[in-house]
Amino acid sequence: MRRALIAVTTSLAAVATVTGLIFAFRSGVPVLSLGVLYIFAVLPVAIVWGRPYAVMTAIASMLAFNFFFLPPRHTLQLQDSANWFALAVYLVTAVVVSDLAARSRRRAAEAEQREREEALLAELSIALLHGQDVALELDRAAPEIASTLGAERVRVELDPEQRAGEGATFPLTTGPRRVGTLYTEGSLDSDAAIRRFLPALASLLAVAVDREQFQRDALQAEHLRLSDATKTAILRAVSHDLRSPLTAIRVAAESLLSPAVHLDEEARRQQLETVRTESRRLDRLVENLLDLSRLQAGAATPRRELVSVDELVGQALAEVPHDEDQIDVVLPADVPLVEVDAVQLERTLVNLLDNALRFTAPGRRVAIEVATSGGDVVISVSDGGPGIAEQELDRVFEPFTHVGADDGRRGAGLGLAIARGFAESNGGRIWVDPAAGGGARFSVALPRSAVSLGVET
Amino acid sequence: MSGERILVVDDERQILRALDTTLRGAGYEVDTAETGEAALTQAAIQPPDALVLDLVLPGKSGTEVARELRQWTDLPILVLSAVGDEREKVSALDAGADDYVTKPFGIDELLARLRALLRRAGDRTEPTIEIADIRIELDKRAVYRDGALVSLTPHEFDLLRLFAVNEGRLLTHRTILREVWGRAYETESHYVHVYVSQLRRKIEPDPARPRILVTEPGAGYRLVDPDRR
Repeated sequence: MRRALIAVTTSLAAVATVTGLIFAFRSGVPVLSLGVLYIFAVLPVAIVWGRPYAVMTAIASMLAFNFFFLPPRHTLQLQDSANWFALAVYLVTAVVVSDLAARSRRRAAEAEQREREEALLAELSIALLHGQDVALELDRAAPEIASTLGAERVRVELDPEQRAGEGATFPLTTGPRRVGTLYTEGSLDSDAAIRRFLPALASLLAVAVDREQFQRDALQAEHLRLSDATKTAILRAVSHDLRSPLTAIRVAAESLLSPAVHLDEEARRQQLETVRTESRRLDRLVENLLDLSRLQAGAATPRRELVSVDELVGQALAEVPHDEDQIDVVLPADVPLVEVDAVQLERTLVNLLDNALRFTAPGRRVAIEVATSGGDVVISVSDGGPGIAEQELDRVFEPFTHVGADDGRRGAGLGLAIARGFAESNGGRIWVDPAAGGGARFSVALPRSAVSLGVET
Repeated sequence: MSGERILVVDDERQILRALDTTLRGAGYEVDTAETGEAALTQAAIQPPDALVLDLVLPGKSGTEVARELRQWTDLPILVLSAVGDEREKVSALDAGADDYVTKPFGIDELLARLRALLRRAGDRTEPTIEIADIRIELDKRAVYRDGALVSLTPHEFDLLRLFAVNEGRLLTHRTILREVWGRAYETESHYVHVYVSQLRRKIEPDPARPRILVTEPGAGYRLVDPDRR
């Protein structure tokens, strides 16, 4: 509306200006030949505002010329038929020039539009073919697409199903294949842009989607290969780790029964001791395997309750066979409480202690230490072993991993994975760093409960 | 008791201790080692009469230990393997180990294998060997079954003799080929399969269910006396 008002005003102003000029020149020049000056009103209007205004300006010029300069003046009648001819020429000129101008203006606009589309497609092809996620890149590019198509807002969905929504929808297809849908809000500048732009966008999308699919497939194949390797490792570990205690038990038990083997009292006691310790080891191994499968299946929901850390440490120490001079225990003066599943946290600590005892050199000691730090209670288990190389610190908690333990002290590679699993499922953190004496120190941090026992210290 | 000295090599201390006690109870002298390197040193300082060798060892593997030992001694080597270690087991046998038992093994099986290994092949000097209802007269190259003469080709007889003088011992395909056909035939294991099948037809009561010439899958064959098992 505003545009129309400005156009009318400028057109009338142009006619008035030319009329004024003719009025000024009419004393020196024959008035009829001055009529041609109205071209200077019609031309700019035709170029800038288009045909309807140009025709209007031509008619207005004609009327003004007739009214002000052609006899009888101040009427709209014409005496001379030659004047009719002059007016007709103005009109035709106005129409032709305005058409030419409009066409060249349209061409220029179209060329500009194409240029923008091409630039956008180039940009999109880089984003879509090198980006990580096609859908994400499309969302990111949506404002750019909208402004290029002259829509208020667009959305491109890879979903081949067309969903009902406000605004217009355009299918994106290449050949018989439907790649996605373009949804637009607000009117579009030009259908030609849609016709040109959409097929290009569709084939670009098809390539990008295919590429993404190939990448996913490749990733999945790699994943399958890895999980296959893991399964093989599990089978080997389980076969070796179950068989060793079984072998010791079978040999010891059968030696007690065999008539070919003669054992004295001490030897018999020793064989029975082997049966007992190895059965317990088997039991622990089976328990660990169950724990791990529960953790990996997400079936280990903790049943949290308030427990004292003293209690947790005590329970764990009772579970781990050891001599008293093998493990030092350091507890804080107060008694911190934590809200955890006591059974699961005990499994964490038992596995850390088991691991520490296995790696601690004879004559050296394991230390379990409880300290409070900020809002956390930190339980640390330090061993007197060879320590862990820095580049392997991250790997020690992976299941079936044996780090730096190629000397007969390796376990099934389950303990630390379970320790981490239960620590984390109870809202704790677990990490490992070098211990003061050169060994490794495993720490579990648990949020300290706000509840306190109110013990005076 | 025999008092023969056995060196047991295993990285699992519990197995080592159980075997130590058991073998002593069975009348052997026992040394133990936890690594392949320690085993090689001990075998050099005080050569045992037989070696019981775990395949999976930290550092030097059982197979490597067997290979190194074979460079200077032919002491009998009994390998402890586990299901899943088949390939390793075969390469240990190829490297010179004499026999194997699979974990978890029974001690009767272990003691029987050890006895067979300690009874050296050359020890069997008697001219006639009797196994079940088979009588083999080595000097006359004659074989009788239930008193009736069995006709064997020269290769069949050589094969049966090899099995008989090594009663109870595992013979790998390679060993059989080398002893019966000669070194050039070491890799032609189909010879063994064919001749063993022929031999079974002549000496086994039910060749489809062999009880005398038993197959050790993937490793070789063993002649056992079904009456003495």
